[in-house]
Amino acid sequence: MRVYRDDQKFLTFRINALLWAIVAIFVFLAGSFWFVQGVQAEKYRNLSDANALRPVAMPAKRGLILDREGKKILADNQPAYSLTLDRVVMRPIVKSDKTHRGKLVSFLATSLGTTPQDIEARFEKGKVIPFARPIPVAEDLTMSQVASIQAESLSFPELNVEPVQRRNYPYGTLASHAIGFIGEVSERDLIQHKELKPGDLIGKRGVELMYDEYLRGKDGTQFWEYDSHGRRLAEVRTARQDPVAGSNVYLTLDFDLQRRAEQYFVENEFVGAVVALDPRNGEVLAMVSSPEFNPNVFSKRFTPDTWKVISSNPFKTELNRAIQGLYSPGSVFKTTMAVAGLAEGAIGPGTTFDCPGSAVFFGRRFRDWRRQGHGVVSVTTALKVSCDIFFYNVGARLGVDKISEWAHNLGFGEISKIDLDGEKAGIVPSTEWAAKKQHRKWYPSETISVAIGQGPLIVTPLQTAVMMATIANGGTIYRPHVVRMIERQKPDGSMERLQVASEVLRKVRIPDTAWKTVTNGLWKVVNEEGGTGGNARVAGLDIAGKTGTAQVIAQSGWFSTAGLPFMQRDHAWFVSYAEKENPQMVVAVFVEHAGQHGGTDAAPLAKLLYESRFKGQIENAALDLNNPDTLEAIREGKLPVPGQEKKAPPAPANSNFGH
Amino acid sequence: MPRARALSALDINFIGTAIAITAIGCMLIYSATYFTDPSLNLLLKQVLWIAIGIALMLLFMLVDYHVFFEIAPVLYGIGNVLLVYLLIWGKVTAHVKSWIHIGSFQFQPSEFMKIFTALMLARYFDRQESAYMNTRSFLRAMAIIALPVGLIIVEPDFGTAATFFPLVAVAMFFGGIRWKVWVVAAIVLVIALPVGWTLLHQYQKDRVITFLNPDRDPLGKGYQVTQAKIAIGSGGIHGKGFRQGTQAKLEYLPARHTDFIFAVLGEEWGFIGVMIVLGLYLFLIIQALNFARNARDRGGTFLAICLISFFIFHVLINVSMQIGILPTTGIPLPLISYGGSSTMMFLIAIGLMANVDMRRFGHV
Repeated sequence: MRVYRDDQKFLTFRINALLWAIVAIFVFLAGSFWFVQGVQAEKYRNLSDANALRPVAMPAKRGLILDREGKKILADNQPAYSLTLDRVVMRPIVKSDKTHRGKLVSFLATSLGTTPQDIEARFEKGKVIPFARPIPVAEDLTMSQVASIQAESLSFPELNVEPVQRRNYPYGTLASHAIGFIGEVSERDLIQHKELKPGDLIGKRGVELMYDEYLRGKDGTQFWEYDSHGRRLAEVRTARQDPVAGSNVYLTLDFDLQRRAEQYFVENEFVGAVVALDPRNGEVLAMVSSPEFNPNVFSKRFTPDTWKVISSNPFKTELNRAIQGLYSPGSVFKTTMAVAGLAEGAIGPGTTFDCPGSAVFFGRRFRDWRRQGHGVVSVTTALKVSCDIFFYNVGARLGVDKISEWAHNLGFGEISKIDLDGEKAGIVPSTEWAAKKQHRKWYPSETISVAIGQGPLIVTPLQTAVMMATIANGGTIYRPHVVRMIERQKPDGSMERLQVASEVLRKVRIPDTAWKTVTNGLWKVVNEEGGTGGNARVAGLDIAGKTGTAQVIAQSGWFSTAGLPFMQRDHAWFVSYAEKENPQMVVAVFVEHAGQHGGTDAAPLAKLLYESRFKGQIENAALDLNNPDTLEAIREGKLPVPGQEKKAPPAPANSNFGH
Repeated sequence: MPRARALSALDINFIGTAIAITAIGCMLIYSATYFTDPSLNLLLKQVLWIAIGIALMLLFMLVDYHVFFEIAPVLYGIGNVLLVYLLIWGKVTAHVKSWIHIGSFQFQPSEFMKIFTALMLARYFDRQESAYMNTRSFLRAMAIIALPVGLIIVEPDFGTAATFFPLVAVAMFFGGIRWKVWVVAAIVLVIALPVGWTLLHQYQKDRVITFLNPDRDPLGKGYQVTQAKIAIGSGGIHGKGFRQGTQAKLEYLPARHTDFIFAVLGEEWGFIGVMIVLGLYLFLIIQALNFARNARDRGGTFLAICLISFFIFHVLINVSMQIGILPTTGIPLPLISYGGSSTMMFLIAIGLMANVDMRRFGHV
């Protein structure tokens, strides 16, 4: 009991001590608040009206986009001036001077050369931006506009001319579909990306969109002191948070190949697409979709209708035909048919069929593209001359479901998972597809059309390149990609390079005899007299490929569509690789509504690209080693040693992240 | 009827004051966020948490606190297991693994750990016979606090770990360390702290402050405090009125619905509003200390003191930093700042303190 009483006294005493200490602290706090809110209230009210210290965003520099060597800059930033309006400064002025707003609108309309309605519309658009942040009014001011606005800065202190970085694409239309463009954030972007604020510019298409989080960087903040009239006084340097520049993105695109391919389309006024792939790792060496657009027009904020104008173009400029255009592959599909037929044992390397110019399957007569036929042909010859009747027979033996299986094996009917937005999967028909998607029965006669790449079968140019790459490298499907490397600044200031690893999506088992037979046939297409792809032939280079001419309208006889209206003409294809024994590049050329055969309109471009890619090797082959002068020149080092140059440059390693 | 007898002893004013403070908190959160969050998501979430908190408060009030003493080791054990779980599997939020995610809901076990540790400590003192502690019993009491604090420091969340300090103070001050020791310790501390602080380089001081509160004052140089003082000072005696604050609305004031919500009060309700809220807190504190004084047993006394010590610590530090008396720290204002775990924790504490008071007349 003694202990307890003692304890009780002890605790009560200390509780009371604590209580009085707390009361004392509360009195002290009350006094402190009285000092701030009673004595100094006036001072703080003035500071509040002016708000002395205000944050101003410092936009981060967006990363560069470069070609694969890093020698050409495909997207950079240009200094420009933009005009912003600070509503916090404007509000007290408008309260005391009712005419101020009207004056401001007419001043802006005059100095920017637009209508008061347009100015009002820009103000309206800025309403989504939090009140404390300035709203953008105009971009890309000319020096005279800057001067006239600065001259009136005392009358309109709410206007600020800010130096900004504007996105610039030095080569204009070059690789525009792959690079994409930037634009103002949408409502949806803001919900998805919490770090963005209204008015920010972000990637909208292509690499600018897909690699936006690398390119974007992180905005910084400056803190400025303001006086009671809302004028900016000085920056509080110590509070500044510097922006972090965005990372640079190196594309896999080869500048020369890309430009050469685009020139070909421009010079011939062709519509279409080109994809050049490295079959050893899936790198896209060139990607063209013609016609192209100029992404520089999207860098401006106040041209919201530009995209609509471009979308309404009858040639569908906005479409990246290489990955979004869906077309019948035509005879290019015979490559898949040959692999399927040989692998499934429907035909052997020696199997022949007679081609008399037309034949009947399932009660219907099907024509060959050549009225007089091709005679008795084996699979290699059938590929070389693009015989339809041979592949009708292969199709009839395989059935649509086996064809579908092999088309899927080689990458058709599904997206290739390329690192670009909006890729289309296309359609590979089968009995299941007919039942599920069309709610109908598949007719065997339809299989015959599919066998030569017509019918419901539609593919993207990229898919044909993936198929050819898979055949070229013996059955490996790589994920195609347009970005090779990302170069970013580490917190300590040093640069770090992240390689994009090449990714094997899957391996397809192609039997050895099938592979040898098909690649021989493809070689003959280009290199033997009578092959349909002779226009791609390059001396000293073993190119293998397949032409295609896809019908757009149902034809009831044998005639050329070259004279028909544009939209009714045939499409032209040429899909190929080089070299046959050492594949380093696949080229898929597609010309929309060319009217001519694939060998005529598409193959010459492939030839140009191979000549560019294998330049050293072709020059070597042209050397006449029987000429003593040549041998002398080689000995003196004026000419390269034959055979040394011929070795393929090692494929970039499938590197992981690192330096 | 034992329960009826206990209920009749319930201090309605105490509970009512706590709920009134949460209501004021909701109004302030509304003022601070309606401009930037027009859907009022944050406010609605806070209301939901208060509702859950009140339910928990009733549970912790109606069940005899001696029952909680009985199960305190289990709760304390579960709490520590959760902290270990966080260490191993925790998702990193703002570099700190202090949140457990359950579906879309997340909570901070360290907040609830404060209650469990307080229960454990009160239970320990309940079983102490002497008014004064010897070295061994003092170290035991410290060990009870040190285990969860250690786990929280490893997370690493120094800010939250520091909020366990009141328990240490209670153990030392009320656990019975002799006056002589106190005087010596106080003299050493009073001399050593300022001397040590001035000996530190500026960057070291900055480091100590940011060490204790990572991410709390990212703008540096007291930007938050400057803005908070402008908000509070410009409120004057009467305040600018509900929803009329401009400082808070215009994003000048960071963390205006959490750590700096008191500045919103100062701006919109003025000195009068500040005095009313401080008065309500003072009332809670005085009542809780009365509960402690009148408690039926040592355990009840210590439980009430431990729990109110959290209130005192949070209120004094949070209010002081608003006008720059103390450096900026990430300590929320009890029952007012936005935040689910903290609001629920303080409501549970209110329930337990009322529990001690209700049962002051004997076993029921």
